[in-house]
Amino acid sequence: MYLLLFPVVLAFSACNSSTDKNLNAKADTTRISVLTFTRQADSLVNKPVMIEGTVFHTCKHGGKRLFLVDGTDSIRVEVTAGEQIAKFDESLIGSRILITGLLREERIDTKYLNEWEAEVKKPEENHGAGLHTGAKGHEDQGVQEKLDQIAALRADLKNSGKDHLSFFSVEAISYKVIQ
Amino acid sequence: MQAKTLRRWNNILHRDIGYLCFGMTIIYAVSGIVLNHFKSGDFMHPDYSKSYHEYTVPIPPSGAVDQTYVFKVLEKVGERRHYKSHITGEGYVQIFLDNGSCYVDLNTGAAQLEKKTTRYVIREFNLLHYNNLKRFYTWFSDLYAAGLIILAITGLFVLRGKNGIIGRGAWLTAIGILIPALFLLIYW
Repeated sequence: MYLLLFPVVLAFSACNSSTDKNLNAKADTTRISVLTFTRQADSLVNKPVMIEGTVFHTCKHGGKRLFLVDGTDSIRVEVTAGEQIAKFDESLIGSRILITGLLREERIDTKYLNEWEAEVKKPEENHGAGLHTGAKGHEDQGVQEKLDQIAALRADLKNSGKDHLSFFSVEAISYKVIQ
Repeated sequence: MQAKTLRRWNNILHRDIGYLCFGMTIIYAVSGIVLNHFKSGDFMHPDYSKSYHEYTVPIPPSGAVDQTYVFKVLEKVGERRHYKSHITGEGYVQIFLDNGSCYVDLNTGAAQLEKKTTRYVIREFNLLHYNNLKRFYTWFSDLYAAGLIILAITGLFVLRGKNGIIGRGAWLTAIGILIPALFLLIYW
């Protein structure tokens, strides 16, 4: 009898596994663009947004992250996969997509940088630690490159005159491939 | 309950859970090997195999990259029909294709064509291994993990006598525990 449960569980799992890219934009969703992202992000933290762009890079460690650009790579917008999205497949690279999600802020302060530095100096590096930039080869960075990145962020923090640096991203709830 | 009845149930559980766990064990084992070596840098990407080809292409005469120039590059590398989109950066253009991309250094004309081939089946195994699906799959994979624990414990008591857990089995079980412990002692 209990053998019958196995296909039932599988079927249930399959029914719920489709990552539908239905875009249910709420009325208060703000449409933003890649090129104006940095200017607009500050006022939209934790609010629903829609953003369109070309997929420049997807994270090969589980596909939980991608970067959007628009024509040029000078501005890259980080997008993380929310609970509803299984992964961002590498086949999305180069596609134009429209994302609906929530705008998130990551604050980097001295404490964060100290912990990151300690993590990087461990022999077993942790990919999850640190800041994802989407730059070519950023996932294969060595220890020295990461330490250089930390040093540069320390300098930016000092020059900013604030106690933290803000990095903005979009947590995707759904997405649609436009072309 | 008598020892004989206990052992009978133990063996039934071991047999049936073993059958049920077969599929998931193969999935996790195959994907585990791929992900292990991908993380240590042996694979460029766990889901795709990639190959690289070098070309020299003309530099755009005016320095500006437009669609005509992009198509000219693609004609040269034989990928015109796979064009998807392109972006420009400081001194380069990256052309995205259905099956890869082409990176052109606009200062030297050096072009690198990256072609990728999907590792079907392994890609789906990795998706399950990473638990990208979430939802009910999380519970199902927890159930599988619990099944493995039961499988391991019942496995100790399948045989009686000199090959059982009080004989040869004890030594082999001890070795199986000592090996990972040894790795921790040496490398950690």
